[in-house]
Amino acid sequence: MIRTTNLSKTYYLGVVEVPALRGVSFEIHRGDFLGLMGPSGSGKSTLLHLLGLLDFPTTGTIRINGMDVSEMDDDERTDYRLRKMGYIFQDYALVGELTVLENVMLTAMAQGKSENECRKASEEILSVVGLSERLKHLPKELSGGEQQRVAIARSMVNRPIILFADEPCANLDTTNSRAVLDQFHTINEELGQTIVMVSHEEWHKEYFHRIVYLKDGQIDRDEDRRSHSA
Amino acid sequence: MNETLIRLRLSFFLGLRSLRRGNIGSLVMTVVIIGMVFTNMIFLPSVITGAINLFVEQTIEYSSGNVLIEPKEDAEVIEDLEDLLARVNRVPGVLRAAPHNNIGGVMKFKGSRLAGSVIAIRPRDEVLVTGVSKMIREGQYLGEGDTGVIIIGNYVAGHKDKSEDLMPSLGGVRTGDSIDVEFTNGVTRTYRVKGIFETKSYMADQAVFITWDELESIKRQKVDQATEVLIKTVPGEDDEEVKLSLIGMGIQEKIKTWNDLLGKAFAQVVQSYGVINSISTIVSIVIAIVVIFIVIMIKTLNNRRQIGILKAIGIHRTTITFSYVFQVIILALMGIVFGLLILLAMDRYFTVYPIVFPDGDIRPAFTIADIVTNAVLLFIASAIAGFIPAWMIAREDILTAMRG
Repeated sequence: MIRTTNLSKTYYLGVVEVPALRGVSFEIHRGDFLGLMGPSGSGKSTLLHLLGLLDFPTTGTIRINGMDVSEMDDDERTDYRLRKMGYIFQDYALVGELTVLENVMLTAMAQGKSENECRKASEEILSVVGLSERLKHLPKELSGGEQQRVAIARSMVNRPIILFADEPCANLDTTNSRAVLDQFHTINEELGQTIVMVSHEEWHKEYFHRIVYLKDGQIDRDEDRRSHSA
Repeated sequence: MNETLIRLRLSFFLGLRSLRRGNIGSLVMTVVIIGMVFTNMIFLPSVITGAINLFVEQTIEYSSGNVLIEPKEDAEVIEDLEDLLARVNRVPGVLRAAPHNNIGGVMKFKGSRLAGSVIAIRPRDEVLVTGVSKMIREGQYLGEGDTGVIIIGNYVAGHKDKSEDLMPSLGGVRTGDSIDVEFTNGVTRTYRVKGIFETKSYMADQAVFITWDELESIKRQKVDQATEVLIKTVPGEDDEEVKLSLIGMGIQEKIKTWNDLLGKAFAQVVQSYGVINSISTIVSIVIAIVVIFIVIMIKTLNNRRQIGILKAIGIHRTTITFSYVFQVIILALMGIVFGLLILLAMDRYFTVYPIVFPDGDIRPAFTIADIVTNAVLLFIASAIAGFIPAWMIAREDILTAMRG
């Protein structure tokens, strides 16, 4: 489904080169619940940003369903992100001036669906994440766990082919973290949703089918855990 | 739905909610500033238009009528006056014609001497053509057939303390006083001042009127001549059309509308006012642009992270930019409505308490053209001022923006 070839990313701090990724080649399969793990600075977030078309690689290619997305221009990448990808960030990244329902409707509206369609789809997905009673609340009126569930609903409303989660539990306590991960597990199992998630928590491993360990910008280990998954 | 429409719909959705749920203090401040700028843009031209209107009104009402007939080229007077008046009064669109016969003279009062024109009028016609009869400050207007009496303008009457006078005067004449007039034909008459008028028009308030009967008594003959004939047109008639009808009747004298009379000098005055007005408008627009630019710049910088998030989840940068443009347009609209309310209040106030100038009371004239033009200018300026900072932030790369 996604294949990266010799992917590298180098940042520049003045004249100093900081290689964040160095020749990463690997593949993500449809229906994977893949964990990207590794110590701080290992390049896991950088890899997620490149896979999620939020940043451009310095060298290498990314092919999604056979299409080389690294060749896309900015507008094409924006459109691709909207229609094919979902994102969950560690600080929820909701729009503070929009209600729960409006936050979820946003990406559906951007696809040109009618307001009724957007509302229906958003209410449906919010009910799946257990927030039917909170539709008219603003993000600041919700707990961290609830906000992350709104973010999950927003990322899912357009039925993306792949969901990217960048340390989604970093700001949550264990109970809320578990609720979020359970949610991921459910959508992965029931809808076959492909999920790529960055994490540094050891106990999250139990949810992943597969874990790619990164170290110093390179793949250190690729572990298939399907037999151990929750 | 077309891609552009989808983006505009989403921009409007985001912009409207950002305004509704954003910082109310910043919203009110921006609306008030835009409202004040709009008021400033309209107020100066309205005063200038008011001054021009006043000048035109005074010219028509007290000096020339709507149309003025003057002697032929190389002639000093209009001959066969009665015949001319009869013809003019028959022309469609003419309400009434009033002849003036202007004779030079020197007025004397308690040692003060003042040279000027003494104008003979026919009061019955004059009241239908000019507005002097309505502007009697003290005493009475002339009656048909009055002799031995005179009415004088406010500036001619003057004050006992001449330092209070704007123009040379007779030094404080009051109704009932007697003044001597030495006419250029050598005749000297003493007149009782029957009334003093005050029109606030420089030209009109320097005039002195006697009746036609008095003129004939001075000249000791029937006078069938005039130095000018003022014509009042029927309200709503086009003065230019009336002028053409008069020419069409074969009248050989010079026929001019008030507009012809004011001519190039007046056009220059209007042009000069236009320059002042343009400078004021440009300054107002620059203030509006700077204020809106700062407000939107601060807002976009504060929302930088949110803009990054929106881009990350696939919202196009055009949608984000236009969400700010929509906010600015709504703010401009609210500001303009606020400005219009201020102008409405000013209009009411100045109707009751006009701005007092020595040459008249000016009521600012708020024209639809000025309001529409300035509103459009303000909209365009606001849209540009909102677009630039939003465009700058929206084209930043996603991860930089998301770091805030």
